[in-house]
Amino acid sequence: MRTLPRVLLAGALLLVLTACDRGTAAERDANARRVAETGLYGHRLDSARVVPAVTLVDLHGTSHDLAQLTRGKLSLLFFGYTNCPDVCPVHMTNIAAAMRAFSWARRDSIRVIFVTTDPQRDTTERLREWIGSIDSTFLALRGSQAALDSAQRGLGLAEAMRLPGVHEGDYQVGHAGQVLAVFPDGTVRYAYPFGIRQAEWVHDLPKLLAYAAAGDAPASREG
Amino acid sequence: MQWWCSAQGVAWEWTWRAYPGVWLFIALVGAALAYAHRRSGVRTQPWRVSLMAQGVLALWIALDWPVGALGGGYLASLHMLQFLLIALVAPPLILLGIHEEVWDRLARRAVPRWLTAATTPLLGLVTLNAVIVLTHLPAIADPMMATQLGSFAIDMLWLASGTLFWWPLVAPVPARPRFVPPLRMGYLVLGIMFSPVTIVLVAVLVFNEHPLFATYELAPRVGGLDSVLDHQIAGLLMSVGGAVITLVGMTTIFFRWARESEGVHGPDANRGVHRPA
Repeated sequence: MRTLPRVLLAGALLLVLTACDRGTAAERDANARRVAETGLYGHRLDSARVVPAVTLVDLHGTSHDLAQLTRGKLSLLFFGYTNCPDVCPVHMTNIAAAMRAFSWARRDSIRVIFVTTDPQRDTTERLREWIGSIDSTFLALRGSQAALDSAQRGLGLAEAMRLPGVHEGDYQVGHAGQVLAVFPDGTVRYAYPFGIRQAEWVHDLPKLLAYAAAGDAPASREG
Repeated sequence: MQWWCSAQGVAWEWTWRAYPGVWLFIALVGAALAYAHRRSGVRTQPWRVSLMAQGVLALWIALDWPVGALGGGYLASLHMLQFLLIALVAPPLILLGIHEEVWDRLARRAVPRWLTAATTPLLGLVTLNAVIVLTHLPAIADPMMATQLGSFAIDMLWLASGTLFWWPLVAPVPARPRFVPPLRMGYLVLGIMFSPVTIVLVAVLVFNEHPLFATYELAPRVGGLDSVLDHQIAGLLMSVGGAVITLVGMTTIFFRWARESEGVHGPDANRGVHRPA
């Protein structure tokens, strides 16, 4: 009869040991600290970055100055590519899912912009099909390599670069994985790295809207 | 090389991958069953061999590529299929396939007290449901699924709790004369189909606005399947799969009961020396 408790205890111990991964626990702590400090899951940038003036083209062929485009309302800006196997579709579908939880009025007050880092393969048609499958209200932009590099540099992001693909002749694009929250004054205040979940977007977006309407991030207001 | 399927965070590819730990485990289960039958010195009937083979095959399918790999880190729906196969399909098939002589040998050696205690219906019911709760709590399941050891622990807990759950229903040793067919049917219904734990889990998976598990929400997409829909399919699988297994089990118990009441003996009528008459 003493064997059974031992077996159950060993099972429970194994469960606890494997569940208490130190990396995950540290991540949870950091998340909790961040939310306590700023009220947001997003990472507050040490200094606000200004969106650079670069010309990009939308799916209708209309040219936009990125700096002008991101002014006037809260924008979520992401650089990625449609052949991305992991980060891009997850980020974009999670934002789309979170937006569906809001009223049309609230959704209309947030602009989501996807800029391709792979203009060679991401033709207008391909971009239209891909972004349409996620959320047709999202803006998709293309641009010359020089404009893309300039935009990423200006935003303090690592410039996207081609990497060898799994299959011969194929390639992947290494790119920054964070979504940038651009306030209506054209400054980036928060970054959302990969790993942000739908529920966390639902939590953060109304607060970001409130902070954006107040014209500043909470720490500055409190300070 | 990975020895056990777990979440990797890399894009899914339909390229076969080897999981030696799974093969070793399946080989050990097969070898243990073959050894137990060889020691009993009897020739196992083909239908029993077939049942055991189906049980081991269900385990293998659940643990190896592609189901094991997809369920381990990409799709909640296949994770649920793994649960059904490992905890609710494989154990009864394997236990049903064990020859009566093997059970008789166990009974003749005086059933250990721990085995009698570990295989009581109440403990089986509680253990299975406790394991379902524990292994489906995101705070526990997500970090566990990220490591091979964690994934292995989940799979083994499912197999162990499933075996404990099915044991009093299927195994004739130890004899439980008071665990009559109507009680057995109620046990199945309460343990699987209408288990409060299962009902709550299914409701959370199906009706939650956002995905329950970070592992599957943040996993690279497979076939463009939306994560919320994937979770809903997982919930439906648990609900429908659990109901089908319960109904098959209840039907089997009912017809055996009817046959025994009429005095008609099936292929295992003499099985289990301690079985109630």
